[in-house]
Amino acid sequence: MKYVLFILRRLVTLIPVLFGISLLVFFLLQMVPGDPAVTLLGAHVTDAGVAALHKQLGLDHPLWRQYVTFVGRLFHGNLGDSYQYKSSVSSLVLHNLVPTIWLIVTGAVLAVLISVPLAVWSASRRNGIADNTIRTIPLIGLGMPAFWLGIMLVLLLSLKAGAFPASGFGTGIGNHIKSIILPGLTVALALVPILIRSLRASMIHVLQSDYITTARAKGISGARVVFRHALPNAAISSVTVLGVNIAYLIGSTLVVEKVFALNGIGYLMITAIFNRDFPIVQGITLVFAVMVVIVNLLTDMTHAALDPRVRLA
Amino acid sequence: MTTDRTGTSDDRIAAIASHEISRRNMLRFGALGVGGAGVLAACGTSNGGSSKSAKTGGASSSTTKPKSGGSVIIARPQDSVDFDKTMVFSNASIWVYVQIFEGLTIGSKDGKTVEPWLATSWTQSSDKLTWTFKLRPNVKFSDGTAMTSADVKFSLDEASTTKGGWEFINAAIEKITAPDPMTVVIKTKYQWAPLLADLACPSNGIIPNKYGGKTKKAFYSAPIGTGPFVWDTWDKGNKLTLKKSKNYWRAGMPYLDSVTWQTVPDDNTRNVMIQGNTAQINETPPFSTVDQLKGVKGATVTLFPSTRTDYILMNEKRAPYDDVHVRRAISYAIDREALVKTVLFGNGTSANSLFMPTVPYYDKATAGQSFDMTKAKAEIAKSRVPKGFSTTYLAMSGDSTDSAIAQVLQSSLKELGITMKISKSDPSAVHDLQSALNYDISHSYWTMDINDPDELVQFAVLPAGGGHSFDTNYTNSKAQSLASQAEKTFDQAQRQNLYSQLQAQLADDAFLPALYYQPLPYAMRSAVQGFFVKPTGLYDMAAVSLA
Repeated sequence: MKYVLFILRRLVTLIPVLFGISLLVFFLLQMVPGDPAVTLLGAHVTDAGVAALHKQLGLDHPLWRQYVTFVGRLFHGNLGDSYQYKSSVSSLVLHNLVPTIWLIVTGAVLAVLISVPLAVWSASRRNGIADNTIRTIPLIGLGMPAFWLGIMLVLLLSLKAGAFPASGFGTGIGNHIKSIILPGLTVALALVPILIRSLRASMIHVLQSDYITTARAKGISGARVVFRHALPNAAISSVTVLGVNIAYLIGSTLVVEKVFALNGIGYLMITAIFNRDFPIVQGITLVFAVMVVIVNLLTDMTHAALDPRVRLA
Repeated sequence: MTTDRTGTSDDRIAAIASHEISRRNMLRFGALGVGGAGVLAACGTSNGGSSKSAKTGGASSSTTKPKSGGSVIIARPQDSVDFDKTMVFSNASIWVYVQIFEGLTIGSKDGKTVEPWLATSWTQSSDKLTWTFKLRPNVKFSDGTAMTSADVKFSLDEASTTKGGWEFINAAIEKITAPDPMTVVIKTKYQWAPLLADLACPSNGIIPNKYGGKTKKAFYSAPIGTGPFVWDTWDKGNKLTLKKSKNYWRAGMPYLDSVTWQTVPDDNTRNVMIQGNTAQINETPPFSTVDQLKGVKGATVTLFPSTRTDYILMNEKRAPYDDVHVRRAISYAIDREALVKTVLFGNGTSANSLFMPTVPYYDKATAGQSFDMTKAKAEIAKSRVPKGFSTTYLAMSGDSTDSAIAQVLQSSLKELGITMKISKSDPSAVHDLQSALNYDISHSYWTMDINDPDELVQFAVLPAGGGHSFDTNYTNSKAQSLASQAEKTFDQAQRQNLYSQLQAQLADDAFLPALYYQPLPYAMRSAVQGFFVKPTGLYDMAAVSLA
């Protein structure tokens, strides 16, 4: 029951967040120079053409009225129509969200799969060769920009080895999975060094604590001590680190999407900004906000599952 | 002008194949697609100069009959946006919808003339105001209904009356009537020479009368036309697929079962797709990657001549740009060859006229101003500001072309005592500032949508064109009178004479110093046969087959 209440309480906080974001985004966009009608009409733009298009898009109304219309529609779950595509923003955003979510989830899963064993190994062989290697090599990954790493992965694993498609998202679940591995790996390799470092540090801390010594004294096997007793406790801080990084990723997968032609939400956002397609920008910003809140919620839930003290608080 | 394999061989109709139009706001695309990608491009090679291994203008040669079947994927930096032909200005949309909608006439492959298409012949009344068109028999829309004059009247009326879009193309049309199902009569308000070229404009494509019973919005979300391909699926922001029409009037065409345009914003990724054959055509790769693409095994790069001219804008509402000597001095000071090298990586030629060589009535003899510092210094000495002045160049942020031009110009103008600052703004903000005449000096470009220079001249010279002379506030009554005379002159030699005078006048006024002419680069797999891009940027996928 407490668990459900906890989730509900967090979901309620979404409302003021979304309201604040909608206000901020709407008025910030209005302050940006550049007129959507001018962009749509291109070089043939004439004053009459701009006026006609303003009327059609509802841009001739005063700002407050445009905002009221925008929020009014929002209550009905309607994000409005895109200026350039002339179709519903909600369907565009939801559609483009699919590859982005795949990318973030794959990235996070791969990052965990790579970091946890390495961090555990590293922490249990503290200051040994393995430890030093594991601490150093992933740092190189941190130094490699995603676009370069992505292209290298494409060249090696897809063009040379032919193991994965070079770009696109494919059709059908099977092809989606095949297509998402390389971009997911690109995202993961940027997360891995941070995760390894934080998990290793807390593992070392935990492995030195009294209850581990007690466990060992009771004669519990080394592996069981590490995985059953030390890891869940050490993981708490790393879950937060991962959560924060995923929340950050949500707005920044654009580069990876671009290299792998995934055309997710990052791509949609950038073109919309350039074309001054305000409804799309507003829609995506709101979706980002919701996603960040949800990721934070999931982080807290994992946290709560791992650490009973969080739930009770 | 261009070497054309099909034009001399078997299928006469296939030869004319292809439609019209290109887009001037490719500039905008350049800014975000190309410019943005430039920053991110990892392995982007950039060795300027030679274009020796690139073919110019010709489609891949084939003597055998094209094979039917197969699909082609065209990778491109931008997605289509909308298919309302009366409103949409995006090239990425137009190049797709011309596979669905066709016009009464069509622009020739060399860009110089207009040929019959859905109309097979026409006559003109003695007062030159009334044109009577005979429609091609047995033309069907892709849903199987026959095309009649009622469809033509509806389509042209729609293009003329929808405000805020392409209606300026039809400004000369007074009335359209359909006396019988196969005849259309167009009456113009005044004598109007560009009419046939106007009818080939994609905005004048033929659609079913009253949208075939649908609402306008529903119709354009799954459009129907007489063209070789029919609407299939559009996954917005990702890919759009058209499939073969079973009711197409050109026998045996199209050869391909389907065509897919896939949006791939990253230049390197498009390159990789050609390499891995996951795409067969790479649409307008940036010039910085052309050399890299030439090295791809199993692929070729073709540079199709385009109608794009780039030029310098000078705001004549602001001193000292109202002084012709200042404008001439600046025009003489521009090292156009250097720009071709830095901006186009050698893939282009320097410009002498505001008209492009692919446009009818282009005059090669137009003197223009070419790079000459001595003449530039002499002109500035004659001006009101012999010691130079300070000015600001308005550039688009993220646009590598714009920054290259600004930097070349900046260093040349220093020699004339002109201190030029570069101020960068976001692309759409630049448009706003230009059209509000709120700038000193800037850069822009133009591409033609029809095979007639009037589209450009109207916008550039005539006040009624609504373009404020390309946002320069230039006015010259002599140029205006030449431009309006040419609009009503039907005799080709006379019209040539008028346009030659006009080009010389515009060059002498250094109204919009033209910089260079650039081609449209396309990279494609060697298996792609018959792909040809007209100067207006349009291509006909019906003529394309796979070897």
